[in-house]
Amino acid sequence: MVNRKKILISVFAIMTACGFIQAQRIKGSDTLLPLTQALAEMYLSEYRDSSIIVTGGGSGVGIAALMENTTDIAMASRRVKFSEKMSFAKSGLEIKEVIVAYDALAVVVNPANPVKELTRKQLEAIFRGKITNWKDVGGEDRKIVVYSRETSSGTYEFFKESVLENKNYMSSILSMPATGAIIQSVRQTKGAIGYIGLAYLNPYVKALSVSYDGKAFYAPSVETAAEGLYPIVRPLYYYYDSRKEPFVGSFITYILSPKGQASVLEQGFIPVGKEKPAGGNNVATKENGLNSEVDGEEVVRP
Amino acid sequence: MRKLVEKGVKWLLTLSGFVTSLVILLIIGFLFTEGAGLFRKKIIEEGYVLALNKENPVRTMTAEQIKAVFDEDVTSWKDLGGPDLAITTFRLEDVEKYFTEEELGAQYEYAGEKIAALVDANPGMVAFVPESMIPENAELNFIEDSNISPKDVFVGAEWFPTATPSSLFGMWPLLAGTLWVSFFAILFALPFGLSIAIYMAEIAPSKVRDVFKPLIELLNGIPSVVYGFFGLTIIVPLLQQVFGLPVGESGLAGSIVLAIMALPTIVTVAEDAMRNCPRSLREASLALGASKWQTVSKVVIPSSMSSIASGIVLGIGRAVGETMAVLMVTGNAAVIPHSILEPLRTIPATIAAELGEAPAGGAHYQALFMLGVILFFITFFINLCVEYISSRNKAKNR
Amino acid sequence: MNTPVFPVGQHLRKRRSQSVAFFVFTLLSYLIVLIFFVILGFILYKGASVISWDFLTQAPEDGMTAGGIFPAIVGTLLLMLGSAVVSFPIGIMSGIYMNEYASKGWVVKFIRLMTNNLSGVPSIVFGLFGMALFVKYLGFGDSILAGSLTLGLLSLPLIIRTTEEALKDIPDGIREGSLALGATKLQTIWKVVLPMGMPRIITGLILSLGRVSGETAPILFTCAAYFFPQLPTSILDQCMALPYHLYVISTSGTDIEAQQPIAYGTALVLIVIVLVINLLAGLLRKYFEKRLKIK
Repeated sequence: MVNRKKILISVFAIMTACGFIQAQRIKGSDTLLPLTQALAEMYLSEYRDSSIIVTGGGSGVGIAALMENTTDIAMASRRVKFSEKMSFAKSGLEIKEVIVAYDALAVVVNPANPVKELTRKQLEAIFRGKITNWKDVGGEDRKIVVYSRETSSGTYEFFKESVLENKNYMSSILSMPATGAIIQSVRQTKGAIGYIGLAYLNPYVKALSVSYDGKAFYAPSVETAAEGLYPIVRPLYYYYDSRKEPFVGSFITYILSPKGQASVLEQGFIPVGKEKPAGGNNVATKENGLNSEVDGEEVVRP
Repeated sequence: MRKLVEKGVKWLLTLSGFVTSLVILLIIGFLFTEGAGLFRKKIIEEGYVLALNKENPVRTMTAEQIKAVFDEDVTSWKDLGGPDLAITTFRLEDVEKYFTEEELGAQYEYAGEKIAALVDANPGMVAFVPESMIPENAELNFIEDSNISPKDVFVGAEWFPTATPSSLFGMWPLLAGTLWVSFFAILFALPFGLSIAIYMAEIAPSKVRDVFKPLIELLNGIPSVVYGFFGLTIIVPLLQQVFGLPVGESGLAGSIVLAIMALPTIVTVAEDAMRNCPRSLREASLALGASKWQTVSKVVIPSSMSSIASGIVLGIGRAVGETMAVLMVTGNAAVIPHSILEPLRTIPATIAAELGEAPAGGAHYQALFMLGVILFFITFFINLCVEYISSRNKAKNR
Repeated sequence: MNTPVFPVGQHLRKRRSQSVAFFVFTLLSYLIVLIFFVILGFILYKGASVISWDFLTQAPEDGMTAGGIFPAIVGTLLLMLGSAVVSFPIGIMSGIYMNEYASKGWVVKFIRLMTNNLSGVPSIVFGLFGMALFVKYLGFGDSILAGSLTLGLLSLPLIIRTTEEALKDIPDGIREGSLALGATKLQTIWKVVLPMGMPRIITGLILSLGRVSGETAPILFTCAAYFFPQLPTSILDQCMALPYHLYVISTSGTDIEAQQPIAYGTALVLIVIVLVINLLAGLLRKYFEKRLKIK
């Protein structure tokens, strides 16, 4: 098994050395798709002799594909799970992790809704079905229609960890296959509430200010998120096989370069290095140290 | 030599004759091996344990109870058959609430000991931690883990495939949603489908028919994504306004889109059946002085009833398996539907939406394959019904 | 005022109920056709302005908000080709076996049952199966190969059924004539039966391509790429495909408003492909029918 992998990788190296165009395969999280696509486009226009394939499918698909060597970089909007780490460890793969950008989640409502701000506790009650009418949080007498992402998307999981403190959503929540569908629905539905990535925010939906301590409310923006004021912020990851570093390193370096990070900002994400993740909610960074002995991964930061 | 060729070709043809049977076997085999693994999975997430204080007598908890405890809906051990003691839940992420980073060590190497000590000190605490972190000599009790039972899966009413510490795979809401939305789709499609079939077979001049027939075929050819897109941008907001619903994404929107999609199947089969109605029957009816309508309603339709029925069943089959359009318009809420105006979630939509994010080989992944098995058998059963109806039809005509 | 004679009244009532019933059927039929034209017109209206030579021959640009859909068109054509390579020979051979070789009785019944069952299997189940067998078990990975095989199996029942039906309609006398002249069974099939059945078989093949071109669910987990501006160089590469492109472009992406015109354009191209395939099949059928009649 290991031998076959070694041979494969040396073949890879030889092909790259000979200038044979081997496409870099990037696969995973749908949150990272638009960003990666735009970056790949820029990268390709500078390095004309290289080739990149970007595929979605979800964080789980990306990580599983990395295990099976059907992708070179896995995009993930969540950290690898404990069970996934164990299978990496079992197959002897050494996985490297890079944070390529940060993403803030905005809580959005219909523009006609007079509610402007909510605390974390109120959000938890709404998404768990304990508050079902807008008048209980200072709005009109209208039923709250709660939109969520699909059960297993990284966005869903992060919102659950951060806002619901790991409790489950109510079962009658409407789950949408993609962020675009949430925007469309919130725009059409008067009593709607949903959450979307900051990059997707547009004038057709209204973003709420959020407070975790119940005192200071902050509206989501790149600035408030970068200064650590806006609380719902998560890192976005690339994972790759450490032995393929020479093959994928150039693209990753490009993303982390000032030029790449400028494009990150342009796409509505928060660049790496500029951020100071808000204290107390960033589960991922906490867990970071906890499990690092499992696979000896490292966080590469510029 | 020529004989050899003949023989060889015969074998080749025989082989390809059985390809479809082989594919069916392979589908069953692969879906089953992946799906059946679900029942060998434990209730509690792989690699983790639920640790209790050693004073705590509770040993077993069902998946629902675990979820209720960690959602803080159940707050006393009394409800679980234990002492009258408040429950405190502990997850790995809570570790910094209790300890400083120095206490845990730079690599969190002391975290396991600290957590064990914490549980030991709090009689009401239940801790959800990786098995590998618990020190060997810790004096703790653990919740006994059991396999996921088929009963919980097939009749369970809650679909929470990513809940931690224990996921719920109740497939009943999804199954009910699938059947509910398909049922209404056929209810809507039937009057339209039969009307068009009768119009095309009996009323329309041949020139109009020549235009209609390819149109209906084209309707069949439009990709489901296009229907979904159309439904989301046109039908959903329309329904919301017309019925004054709080939510536009509903079973109704799904049924309408599915009705449009199932229509061509019903029309084609029903029209063929009516056109194949023996000429002698018609002529006999007309000769007895019946009008054209009487002939159609009293002779042609009854005589082709079983073919029409199989067309309807095929239409149901198409509706049950439809994925992308339903995914985009039904709202996908995993609750057992009580009215068609509520959002619901179907099996195909669940597979398409969740397979991407489920870690390969995990319980969630296997549960989705199990859904695939269920879906396969529903359509298999539907097809057997069609076969049965049409074979009875043949026997009758003979 | 005369009371109408009984038979005349019955006749009138008969006429009236007939005209009411037929009016309703005609109305409902035209309503459906109207709905159809609304869907089509809506997409045509929104999509026509986007379609241009560049749109058809360029790769996507500026985060999928500009440029064209060339790689997706090529990908869809490749998948159609790939699935044809898989399904055409097997499907036709299977049809020949069922009509010419298999002993009539339970064998044919069994195969027909299985074929019908396969044609009823939902496309998402094919997707699951393709992922389990081709992508994972056989290790093809996400690739044109895996996608083509999955789509090929999906279109198999349609081809088998049309082939079988085409051959069934050929009178036995023709076969017997050929055999009586000393031809072997294989020669009879190759030289006589197949050429006669070809027109309808070809129609079936073309229609199966139409079905393949619009499927999303089977390639979701076996082949489709979100962004791959170059063209694939081997069958183990992934590729973009029109239906999947439409799905991702209309539901994900940071700038939905800017992507919507492209979504409509993609939908239009997809519908045009299906339309052309259906027209082609219809024309071929007509052409062959005419030629056979002249003979």
